[in-house]
Parts: sequence; C-alpha cells; structure tokens
Amino acid sequence: MTKSIEEYLEQLKTELQGSDTATIQDALSDAEEHLRAALANQREAQPEISEQEALEQVIEHYGSPSETASAYAEVERRTVPQLTRETPKSTSLGNFFSVYTDARAWGALLYMLIAFVTGVFYFTWAVTGFSLSVSVALFIFGLPFALLFFLSVRGLALLEGRLVEGLLGVRMPRRPLFTQQNLKWLDRLKELAMDRHTWFSILYMLIQFVLGTIYFVIFVTVLSFSLSFIATPFIQEIFGYGVVMNNNIRYYFPTWSYPLLIFGGVFFWTAFMNIARGIGQLHGRMAKSMLVTD
Amino acid sequence: MVDSPTLTKKFQKELNAGIASLVLLSVLNKNTRPMYGYQIAKLLEDYSGDASFMKQGGLYPVLHALENGGLLESKVEPSVSGPPRRYYEITSEGRETLVAWQGIWKQMKSFVDRAIK
Repeated sequence: MTKSIEEYLEQLKTELQGSDTATIQDALSDAEEHLRAALANQREAQPEISEQEALEQVIEHYGSPSETASAYAEVERRTVPQLTRETPKSTSLGNFFSVYTDARAWGALLYMLIAFVTGVFYFTWAVTGFSLSVSVALFIFGLPFALLFFLSVRGLALLEGRLVEGLLGVRMPRRPLFTQQNLKWLDRLKELAMDRHTWFSILYMLIQFVLGTIYFVIFVTVLSFSLSFIATPFIQEIFGYGVVMNNNIRYYFPTWSYPLLIFGGVFFWTAFMNIARGIGQLHGRMAKSMLVTD
Repeated sequence: MVDSPTLTKKFQKELNAGIASLVLLSVLNKNTRPMYGYQIAKLLEDYSGDASFMKQGGLYPVLHALENGGLLESKVEPSVSGPPRRYYEITSEGRETLVAWQGIWKQMKSFVDRAIK
C-alpha cells in the first residue's frame, strides 16, 4: 500500500528503471503534479475521509506505478526523438557522403556554432552568479540571491537540454525537475545546494565555454580550409591570382591539380561533417549525464 | 486455458492507444483556454461517467507525444498550491490534423458498428 506521494514516486522510479533517464524525469514530474492536485481536490470534496484513503482513491484513478511506467514505456517506444529516426545504410563510400542527408550532422554543425555563444553566456552567468552569491552572503539578502542563482541554473540546464535534443537528437527532459513545494525558501536553498545536479549543471556551464570555443575554432578553420581549396582553381583562372604567396613571390598551382584541389576541399569538408556528427553524439551524451538526474 | 481477463485488458489497451490522442486533441480544441493535465483528466472523467477507460497516468505520455509531434504546445506556470503546472494548448497544425482524425474516426465507427451488429 502506498502511504505518500513521495513513496509513489519512489515506486514509479523503480518501475521505470532501465528506461531513458529523460523519460523518467518527465514521468516523475507528471505524476507529482497530478497527484498533488488530485489529492488536494479529493480532500476538499470529501473532508471526512482520511488522507490515506484519499490517496488510495487518487492512485486508483491515476494508475499503479507499474501501470503508469508501462504507459510511458509504450509511448516512448512509438515516438523516438525526430533526429534519430533515419539511419541510412549503404556502402562505405555511400555512408561517407550520405552525411549530407543526415539531419543529425547538420544539427551538430549548427550546435557547434551556437555552443560558442551559449558557452560564453553560461560561463559569464555562472561565474558572476557564483561569485556574487558568495560575496553578498555576508549580507541579509545574500541567501535569497543564491537561491535565485541556483534556480536560474536549473532553468538554463533545461533550456540547454532542449537545444541538445533539438539539434543533436539526444532525448532530454521536457519538464523542469521540481521538489517538495511546501518547503520554506531557506530549506529549498539548502536542498538545491546539496543536490549534485545543481553543481553538475554549473560545471557544465563552465565546461561549455571551453568546448564552445574549441568547436567554433575547429568549425571556422575547417570551413575556411575547405573553401579555399575549392576556390583556388577559380581564383587562379578567373582573377589570375596566385593563391600562395611567399616573400612577395606568387606561386600558382598547375592546371592538372585543379580537380585534386576541388576534390580535396570537398573530401575534407565531408570528413569534417562525419566527425562533427560524432562530436555531437558525444556532446549529447555528456550533456545527458551532467544535466539529467538519475 | 484462455486467459480472458488479460486478453480483455490487452484489447482495451490497444484500443486506447490511438483513441487517447484523438480524445485529447478534441478536448483541447474545444476548450479555448490552455489546460493542465489534472484538469483534462477531470473533464474526461465527467465524459466517461462510471466507466473508466484508461488510467489518468496514461494521458501524460500521450500529451508529450502529441507535443513532440507539433500538434500541441505547452508552457509551465507556477501554481498557488503545489508544483508548477504544465498547460497544454492545441496548435494550428493540431487543428488541421484533428479534422483529418475526426474523419477517420467517423468512417471507422460506422464500419465497426456495421461489422459487429
């Protein structure tokens, strides 16, 4: 017999073991939202019954932990994140070039660009928030400030999760994680500060700055290299410029090397897109392990 | 030995799989204001009367799936008592899809009615 909503959530978590962590987090948030609302409603409608009886009725309608878990597992099986659906299979050369039709590769490229901007923002936010929280802790408003900072970290972690799922195709939570609501703000602060998840999110925000910069630099470097290889024959033929210059002497590539240059540029870029897809998957896995609680 | 209750349960579950999407979409289409999960569940309870066709907990994953498909959108808002609530609202794609689904349902219904009579 389930004695409290917390116990129900624990049982649901056990039932969902082995499912996607993001699904688990969504299922727990849904159940908590529903059960609390339903229980309050039930108590109001029938004040004469005990809390235990009211909870039993509510759970009877909502479904036992195992019923609920199987409903999530069922739907999750039918709906995979959009980007992971297609996996084209063909020869190895076909595989190599099929990266152009793979939405995950383009998503990863876009993510590598965006990560630079978000990385700088996260880093600034985390460092400013953390140092201000520590330094104003001496004053009376220091603790509420820290609470606001921790809450903002949770919000940004959710946002980053949506970005990761949208662009990298890794399933991430769709709902924020929340905890007992009747807590006083000081207890809430304590709970957030004790939660591993908060600190991992802050760490992620710091790491994202470094990774975002690296991704961006690699992206721009590879793009300009590939484009200059491809463009060399055109620049030489149309504008008559030698592309390589050393000690004021211009060097020209021989005409026979043009196809090689163009092929080299295309090959280099295609190889990079394959690598970017891999980086995207790795990054998604890292984001999942740091931003999603287990 | 035929395990009739289990088979009946399985039948009900399979039947619910598609219908839940249709019903949820219709309910959210009829209500102009966004609704949260418990509100929707209460409303469905009113429709079904004493018979309960599916557990309320099973509605949420369907809502997520519909949102994921772009037929619904949702936003989280704090509530006065208890955890923040997720409010769901139908999108214009959702409305278009619903028209098609209602058409399928009507055909299906008359076909099944004729077949089982």
